[in-house]
Amino acid sequence: MLPAPELPHSYPFRFVDTVLSPAGADFRQGTVSARLTANGRAVMGDGRVAGTLLAEALAQAALLLQGGDPDAGRRGFLAGIEGFEVTRLPEAGESLQVDVRLTARFGPVIKFEGEVRSGSDTVARGSILVRQGSS
Amino acid sequence: MTHENLAPRVKELIVRRLKLDIDPTTIQNDAPLFGEGLGLDSIDALELVLGLEQEFGIKVEDEEVGVKAFASVDALVDFIEQKKIA
Repeated sequence: MLPAPELPHSYPFRFVDTVLSPAGADFRQGTVSARLTANGRAVMGDGRVAGTLLAEALAQAALLLQGGDPDAGRRGFLAGIEGFEVTRLPEAGESLQVDVRLTARFGPVIKFEGEVRSGSDTVARGSILVRQGSS
Repeated sequence: MTHENLAPRVKELIVRRLKLDIDPTTIQNDAPLFGEGLGLDSIDALELVLGLEQEFGIKVEDEEVGVKAFASVDALVDFIEQKKIA
């Protein structure tokens, strides 16, 4: 499944690429593969990506798996980050997997928790809020 | 627990869960929580939903119910009391 049109971003700021588990409106948890490059613009001097991009990758994975809302629209955006812990900053272009679970919803606002993994190594975990719709 | 006893708990919940930098006792019982008044938004609403569930064991079924319940402290106290009776 291709990410478009659920996500407003285009390459290089679209980090997720492939859905690895079933998704849709009844989605409760799932996994997406990701590769963070940002075309070098969010890469630090040592070649690793900024930690905030890991939260953005979680949000993109969540919205991609959730598949949008017929009332609020298919798009959404990262609206909040809670208790987000980065244990290792991945290299730019490193192959990652993002595990996401829906934990709460009220109207267009959805809370997800999840982890960003590189193989068996968890590089980040925490909760995010996404708001469906374009504003 | 009476309405008068519940209102301070609700105000404390709002301030603590939303990390507001105000004294809970300054919140008026009938003041709007969203828009004018406290100026809460949809992100705050989800946090209140989670707070009600965790601290009072009450679920907010949907957005329509929540919008009415979150109109003011008085409305929220009424909602909790109704849920506790049901």
